[in-house]
Amino acid sequence: MEPEKFQLVFKRLEAEVRKVIVGHDDVIRQVLIAFFAGGHVLLEGVPGLGKTLLVKSLSHVLGVSFKRIQFTPDLMPSDIVGTEVLTEASGRREFQFKKGPIFAHVVLADEINRATPKTQSAVLEAMEEKQVTVFGESHALASPFIVLATQNPIELEGTYPLPEAQLDRFFFKLMVAPPSPVELREILKRTTGAETGDAGKVLPDDGGKLIGQMQQLLRQVLIAPPIEDYVVRIVYATQPNLMNGNGATSPVKQYLRFGSSPRGAQAVILGAKGNALADGRIHVSYEDVAKVIYPALRHRIILNFQAEAENVSTDEIVAEVVKQVPRA
Amino acid sequence: MRTSTGTQSRELPEQRVGRLAARLRNQKLWDSLLIFLPPLLVATYLAIVLYNFAWIAPLTFYLLSGAMLGVGLLAVVVRIRRLIPSVPVAARLVDEKTSAKDRFLTLATIDVALWPGALVERLRNEAAALLERIDLRREFPYRVKRSFYWSFLFSLIAATLFHLSVPLIGSTRNQAPAYDTLNEVAAKMAKRPPLSALAHELSTLAMKLQDPKLAEQEKQTLIHKVLEQVETQQRKEHEKESRALLGEASSALQGLEQQSAQGQKEDTEKGDGGAQSKPSQQGQGEGKQSQGDGDSKGELNAERSKDMQQGQKAQNTPQEQGKEKNQQSQGDRKDNQPAPSNKSDQDTGKELTGKTPDGAQERLGRSRSEEIPQGAPPAERFYKPGEEGKEGVKGARYVTVQLPEELAADTKGEGSVSKPSKETRAFPKTPVSNAPLPAHVPEAPMEKQQLPLEYRGIIR
Repeated sequence: MEPEKFQLVFKRLEAEVRKVIVGHDDVIRQVLIAFFAGGHVLLEGVPGLGKTLLVKSLSHVLGVSFKRIQFTPDLMPSDIVGTEVLTEASGRREFQFKKGPIFAHVVLADEINRATPKTQSAVLEAMEEKQVTVFGESHALASPFIVLATQNPIELEGTYPLPEAQLDRFFFKLMVAPPSPVELREILKRTTGAETGDAGKVLPDDGGKLIGQMQQLLRQVLIAPPIEDYVVRIVYATQPNLMNGNGATSPVKQYLRFGSSPRGAQAVILGAKGNALADGRIHVSYEDVAKVIYPALRHRIILNFQAEAENVSTDEIVAEVVKQVPRA
Repeated sequence: MRTSTGTQSRELPEQRVGRLAARLRNQKLWDSLLIFLPPLLVATYLAIVLYNFAWIAPLTFYLLSGAMLGVGLLAVVVRIRRLIPSVPVAARLVDEKTSAKDRFLTLATIDVALWPGALVERLRNEAAALLERIDLRREFPYRVKRSFYWSFLFSLIAATLFHLSVPLIGSTRNQAPAYDTLNEVAAKMAKRPPLSALAHELSTLAMKLQDPKLAEQEKQTLIHKVLEQVETQQRKEHEKESRALLGEASSALQGLEQQSAQGQKEDTEKGDGGAQSKPSQQGQGEGKQSQGDGDSKGELNAERSKDMQQGQKAQNTPQEQGKEKNQQSQGDRKDNQPAPSNKSDQDTGKELTGKTPDGAQERLGRSRSEEIPQGAPPAERFYKPGEEGKEGVKGARYVTVQLPEELAADTKGEGSVSKPSKETRAFPKTPVSNAPLPAHVPEAPMEKQQLPLEYRGIIR
């Protein structure tokens, strides 16, 4: 696949989603990057910001199957992955696997933190292995497969915060911010008027093949070893305990309990490659790294009690690390 | 310009990056050389000065020079290793100048074999299109860094300080190497038949000088004698190497002579310190300096008093010189007598008054003439009570008298206070009497009538 074609498709996808979603340009772009990088996205924001609409619009423009799971405390794992049901056909009774909603290309896990850890962990295997196991039998998920989970930062009573292991499986964590006054005016215009915007399909129905080619091209994007070293140094600098914290900066030692896992570095590199391709380049630059480093690392570093008491965010820590790690 | 850019654009982007890295490396090399060159030159100057003054042996000089050169080169290498720009750094510089968004960095650092060839070739073409934006000579010209100016300045200061402190170093250095140098030069000269006699003289001198019983004054005489011979031979010699050897010998002898003068001065200072530490002995006459020669004491004192009153130098007569045990006086006399045995007493006396023959003073060395004062007025302790010296009349006691104004005017021979004097300077309103009181004589009869001290001078 030619890089130009990738850029063309990418731009069209962005444009179509923007017909429905007002603002959130970075979020749209990064969701698309995560999709082509084969990762999952955790969207965090207060209710009513268009998170669910974004995911629905994305699945629509991609022309792939879409399922929504509303996570509640009484949701069972079988409600997600599916279960064996007894069926009778031609006089014989047998168990037949009934697929759950996880068997779709785009899965929206709405308010994922409201389900119990048992149910959340059911999604874990699906996200990482892209397969589910029911009664000892594994079932492959659709390809491409992406989980777009949302969670609400307020109304935390009765919620089950996602464990670190599950958070680490999300490629990006994107913060959905409230719209600006201009954007809100545009939202009102589009949703309360006679004409409402509607996103069109960009990819054909058999777009899975094209998506696969695009995902393959993304991994071929050139990256210079010094830029890889830069990413490694940044990830290493988030470790407060490794090597007695020699590589860590002082805010890291002060406020972090755990640093980023190697998945963080992988996410940065792949995200940077996706960003480069989206910009029409076939090589990664430092700018690409800078653009994806926050969504890739913010959920992978774990704050300690002092940071929470002082209301220090992970973005502030990442910013400090980026400031202190030299590029060359 | 078009031709040059055309030529440059044919090269690959990686090659351009490599060329820039080499250029930056050369610039750092020049920086390092310029920074370390001034101190190296100063150190070389130091070594040459030490060698010329015969303070270090030739082997030491060569070793020192080699070591300094080695240290300088090591410093340059260490600095370059630390500052040398790598290929990625050079590539980033090119990227910044051409706004290439790390294209050059990627091309210069990736392993081409590990990546799809089509993408690499495409990236290379993209970078090549940007090459025209950069001209290495224009974008990366060489400029002398500020560190060079600092290095130059500090080196200059160090060289100046060293140059000024050479005499001080000379006065405090050890004596032993000078003998070695003298022996070495003598050994070299012995290999040349015309200089063999002089070499023998030098060897003999070196042996004699190491005799601890030999007085410093005698040492100086011997050194000076041989030095004259060396200089005479040097004037006659036409061969270059022989002249150089004689020059070395001359330097060594001058150094020895300077040391000897310094040793003599130190001995004299020690003697003065001993006398000062016993002030009670000064009151008895001339203290230690005249001990053991009671017959000449009175004559000596009388002669000194006469000279001192005339404002002349305190020098002894030839007859007194034979009896004089004062080391200071002996030193002064012999310094001015290069060959005392060949000259008459009259000549000696003439020289003692400061009329030194031409050239003799020069041969004695510059620092020696500075260290041993000639023609200075005698010290205060040589004056008798009642004699007038630099600091007034010795042993006198003064009183200050305040007189009425008209009386004060009469005392000065003036009619009135308002009358202008012959000299235009203003007199103080409070006249001061400088009339000395009579020396205190314990046996003298008491005065009949006690006068107030204030009126003693007036009534008399």
